Amino acid sequence: MRREEASAAAAEAGTPRSPDLHDLSDDSDYAAAAAASSSHSAMRSDLVDQGSGETAKVDVVYEKERVTIHPTQYGSGRISGKLRLYLQQGSLFLSWEPNEGVDSLSSNSATMEIEKYRNLYTIKALPLSDVRFIRKHTPTFGFEYIIIVLSSGLAFPPFYFYNGGLRELFATLKKHVFIIRSDDDPNVFLVNDFQDPLQKSLSSLELPGVATVANAMSRQNSLSFTSSVDEAGHGSDAKHGASSSMTEYVSKQKHRSNDPGRDLSIQVLEKFSLVTKFARDTTSSLFRENHSSGGHTYGRQQQEYVLDNRANDKYKDQQITPDKDSLLSDSMESNKILAWGKPREQPLSVDEWRSFLDPEGRVMDSKALRKKVFYGGIDHVLRKEVWKFLLGYHEYDSTYAEREYLAVMKRTEYEAIKSQWKSISSTQAKRFTKFRERKGLIDKDVVRTDRSVPYYEGDDNQNVLVLRDILLTYSFYNFDLGYCQGMSDFLAPILYVMEDESESFWCFAILMERLGANFNRDQNGMHAQLLALSKLVELLDPQLHNYFRKNDCLNYFFCFRWVLIQFKREFSFDQIMLLWEVLWTHYWSEHFHLYLCVAILKRYRSRIIGEQMDFDTLLKFINELSGEINLDRAIQTRRHYVISQPLTGLPAFLLEPRLLCPSRRTVASTYKKTRSCEIPAI
Amino acid sequence: MASRRRMLLKVIILGDSGVGKTSLMNQYVNKKFSNQYKATIGADFLTKEVQIDDRLFTLQIWDTAGQERFQSLGVAFYRGADCCVLVYDVNVTKSFERLNSWREEFLIQASPSDPENFPFVVLGNKIDVDGGNSRTVSEKKAKAWCASKGNIPYFETSAKEGFNVEAAFECIARNAIKNEPEEEIYLPDTIDVGGAGRQQRSSGCEC
Ligand SMILES: Nc1nc2c(ncn2[C@@H]2O[C@H](COP(=O)(O)OP(=O)(O)O)[C@@H](O)[C@H]2O)c(=O)[nH]1
Ligand SMILES: [Mg+2]
Repeated sequence: MRREEASAAAAEAGTPRSPDLHDLSDDSDYAAAAAASSSHSAMRSDLVDQGSGETAKVDVVYEKERVTIHPTQYGSGRISGKLRLYLQQGSLFLSWEPNEGVDSLSSNSATMEIEKYRNLYTIKALPLSDVRFIRKHTPTFGFEYIIIVLSSGLAFPPFYFYNGGLRELFATLKKHVFIIRSDDDPNVFLVNDFQDPLQKSLSSLELPGVATVANAMSRQNSLSFTSSVDEAGHGSDAKHGASSSMTEYVSKQKHRSNDPGRDLSIQVLEKFSLVTKFARDTTSSLFRENHSSGGHTYGRQQQEYVLDNRANDKYKDQQITPDKDSLLSDSMESNKILAWGKPREQPLSVDEWRSFLDPEGRVMDSKALRKKVFYGGIDHVLRKEVWKFLLGYHEYDSTYAEREYLAVMKRTEYEAIKSQWKSISSTQAKRFTKFRERKGLIDKDVVRTDRSVPYYEGDDNQNVLVLRDILLTYSFYNFDLGYCQGMSDFLAPILYVMEDESESFWCFAILMERLGANFNRDQNGMHAQLLALSKLVELLDPQLHNYFRKNDCLNYFFCFRWVLIQFKREFSFDQIMLLWEVLWTHYWSEHFHLYLCVAILKRYRSRIIGEQMDFDTLLKFINELSGEINLDRAIQTRRHYVISQPLTGLPAFLLEPRLLCPSRRTVASTYKKTRSCEIPAI
Repeated sequence: MASRRRMLLKVIILGDSGVGKTSLMNQYVNKKFSNQYKATIGADFLTKEVQIDDRLFTLQIWDTAGQERFQSLGVAFYRGADCCVLVYDVNVTKSFERLNSWREEFLIQASPSDPENFPFVVLGNKIDVDGGNSRTVSEKKAKAWCASKGNIPYFETSAKEGFNVEAAFECIARNAIKNEPEEEIYLPDTIDVGGAGRQQRSSGCEC
């Protein structure tokens, strides 16, 4: 009888509810497994509800022991448990219950840590209708695992199947819920596919990432899925040892720019997993703010972020052969540093910079260099040179000669692209609306970009024209992305530092490859980042998160400007150069800017909550943090650092509240009261 | 007598990038024009108190980024708007042609309860440029469009010179009040229910 039900369900799942080519019934593997597990499920159905005291009947259709999570990411601790699928009142649920005791070879302290997380990860009843997709990982070495991603964009940590059983799991799922293989990634199984993800992303901004994830899924190509970490996080290191001939360089560049699937939403979400534990530790030491409820509230939270498959593959590798270069050891190292504090360093000086280079001009230890910059910044005279490495325009292992050659080649290439629009005559322009519109938009923006900086000051400023030319050329180089407001904000400091049109163009172009998703037409990069930010706050400051939730502020649009142009409008021109070089090292985290958002929000949390700011007030408050940041001369001459908070070794101004504090008035007064005393009678 | 308590009127300024939205808002609120305003990223607002027929209102004026691709943000900002100001640059035909899509986009995203009668005001800005010689959209053409959309009030302004800005915002404020549900206009302690004042207002400003 059970068997009948199961096969009826299977038949139903197989009926063309969606005539999708990727229906699992095509898959002989799955067909076989389905057959195997239908008997399995019939057998299991006897093991009804083990006294959970629930009234409705529970029908277990799948059960697997030794499904294990690795909560600390350190490779030493694991929690084994039992994964189940069960039917209750016609709906399928998933549960995971940890066993007693830790199967771990780890030290006592790690064991205690794991005990702490035992209950945290328990899943009592997860309705499959809440699941967006499940990603399956079948590494060549090590255990298979899955990552379950919820509609909300949240995900559970990976479940490793120590005893196998992954196939049966999917076969069982297929029988009870609508599940299809993603077009673009055969390891992704969409559980509740919805029709028009973009539409949803635009209309349901409450949870921008829901659709973004789905959207990304559907467009995702395998490259971005498998290489997100390396490419974005450690691109430069990964390239170590590879010969860097010009052709290779060029093809690499092309490849990157042609890769539309490099979708931030996935990257952002996936990489969060890697830092969840890490983030909790570091940020609490970073901010030294222990809210009584903070840790405790988190303890009740049961959801984790999307786990990065690559990182976990690495992590597994590490259990076999420790990999010094992996992100994992990286984060562990930073963890130590941040936890124990480290004296702030001087900016990278000319002599020091020389010591990083071998006789032919190669950077011998790029990681040490990035670390140095992360903790100290760069002496301004060196920026022109070092930024090119940080941005990825120069390979760390390139020689002086190669770089010179590159500059020449790239100049020629730049001129060629530039001539594409330079040669458009006014009669041609009349018939080229898109060009006119773009040019118009750029013309309008360059004259309102950093005009108070002497370099861009005054009428008929030549540098403003160079800004215009570079942006217009870029909009031809990347015609699909085009020009978007905010780009001029990024370019202005780059041109100021490079003082060279072609070099600025290429540095900007590479930066746009990192940040281009911010400017996507559908804004999905921004939605993903704001979602990621909200998850980070939820993780690091649950109380503030709750406050935002109650006050309808969860879309985090008040941080839009921070994220879109990486705090450009919040700091002075000098400060922003320092901040950006710190961010560009990707040393601590590729998403350091999001941590910075959290840091600032945490700084003001008591005011935000205390003054009961609503969305409007909060937006105003945050907008007004900018412009109030006046870096005085004294700080500038001390090379932009404020020496008041030696706790973390991070550039201290990032954490210095006075610099971010609106000076005179309170927010309430700016918002509630008029600025002019005069009340016009109408 | 009308209540002393102030009411918040939410006004959204829309239009293509560079038409002068930020400048108009600043001219009205701060009586200043600067050509150093930066392109708006995200959204911001300014508030100003106005007195209309013996009552005080707080006008909350929202300024948003003009580039098309940021329009999806509107949902968060347009909600609860009482009046929408559509701005174009009289020297840029395209910015005029886009008024219609701005209007429609607003109605979709703000989804006001009565879209047919939701108050808009149109401003043709930058009439000072080149003594009016570079103008490409005539007043007549603009007024015709406004008429076709249910008699939208129309003003020609210069944020730079401060020309007509005050008058435009007065009309905007009055239209915003009209949009408010009546019971909210008259607070509980107000006795004057359905007085003559309201009759007057509902006929709108003579703009
Ligand atoms: N001549 C003139 N220029 C204006 C006027 N209003 C704005 N501008 C200029 O037009 C550009 C865009 O103005 P802005 O207010 O930033 O436009 P927004 O993008 O719509 O907010 C700036 O350079 C302003 O100085 C105006 O009435 N007359
Ligand atoms: Mg503006």
